[in-house]
Amino acid sequence: MTTDTIHPLAAEYLERLRRAGRRLPAGRRRELLAEIEGHLSEAIEPGASDAQALTVLDKLGDPEGIIAAEMPRQEPPDRRGAREWTAIILLLFGGFVFAVGWFAGLILLWSSRAWSTRDKWIGTFVIPGGLATAFVALIVLGEPEKKLCRGFPGGAQHCTNAGGSSAASSILGVALLVFLVLAPIATAIYLAAMARRDRIRL
Amino acid sequence: MAAPIRETAISQLRRGVLEFCVLALLRDGERYSYELVRALGDADGLVTTEGTLYPLLGRLRREGVVDTTWRESPSGPPRRYYRLTPDGQAALDGFVIEWTRFRGSVDALLGNGVLR
Repeated sequence: MTTDTIHPLAAEYLERLRRAGRRLPAGRRRELLAEIEGHLSEAIEPGASDAQALTVLDKLGDPEGIIAAEMPRQEPPDRRGAREWTAIILLLFGGFVFAVGWFAGLILLWSSRAWSTRDKWIGTFVIPGGLATAFVALIVLGEPEKKLCRGFPGGAQHCTNAGGSSAASSILGVALLVFLVLAPIATAIYLAAMARRDRIRL
Repeated sequence: MAAPIRETAISQLRRGVLEFCVLALLRDGERYSYELVRALGDADGLVTTEGTLYPLLGRLRREGVVDTTWRESPSGPPRRYYRLTPDGQAALDGFVIEWTRFRGSVDALLGNGVLR
C-alpha cells in the first residue's frame, strides 16, 4: 500500500471504504480495495489539486454505496416462512392429531398471504383431513375385507372372504386409497411451490 | 409516488444492460478494470457511480463470463486485465439478439405513444 504517494483525499476515501467494508467476506473486500486503489492511482495524478481529486471521488460515488453493491446479492425472498411450512405439514398430517391439527393448518393456510384464494381453496378441499382421511378410509374399507378365519383343531386355518366383496370393488377401493394418499401429498407439494412465487411481501 | 417508480425502473434497466456493455467492451480483446470503468463512465446516462462497477466486474468474474490476469503496469499498482470467456461470448451474442428485438418493440410502442 503506497499510501504516501496517494492523494490525501483519496487515502481518506480508501479508509472510509475499508471501514464500510468490514462486513464483506475478507477476500472480496481485499479485491475490491485493490481495484478501487488502482482506480484512484490512475485517475488522480500525483500532485493533483483537491478539486481534481474530489471530481474523481464524486464520480466514483459513496464508499458505502460501493460496499452495498458488493454485498452478496439477496436471493429473491423465499416466501415459505415457518408459518407456511407449518400450514403445509399440518394440512398433511394434522388430521392424525384428533383432526384438530388439520383445522389449525387450515387457519394458518387462510391467514397466510403467500397463497392466492384459489390456492387456499385447493389446500382446503384436496383433501380435507389430509392423510388422516386416507387412514380412516383404509380402516372403513378394510372392514369388509377382513377375512373370516376358522381355526381347525388340526392347526390349519381356513379363511374365506367375508362380505363377498368382488375383485372389482376391491380394485376400486385400492384406487380410492391411492388417490386419498397421493392427492394431499400433491397438494402439499403444490402449496410449497406456489408459496414461493412472488406475491405480497410477507 | 410516480417519480420513485420511474427512477427504479430506469436504474433496473441500467443494471440489467450494464453487464452486457462490459462484455461488449471486451469483444475486441482484453482491457483492464480502469479502462472498462472509464469507457462505461464516459457513456452518456449509463453509469451514475463508477465505483459500483467494480462489484459488477467481480460478479462477472465469479459467474465465469470473464477471466482475469494481473499484469504489472508501467506506472502505479498492477492492473487486472479482463477478457471474455466462451460463456461470456455466448451470453453477449444472446443478448445482442434479444436487445435488438426489445429495442425495436419498445421504440415502436413509444413512437405510437407520441403520435397519439
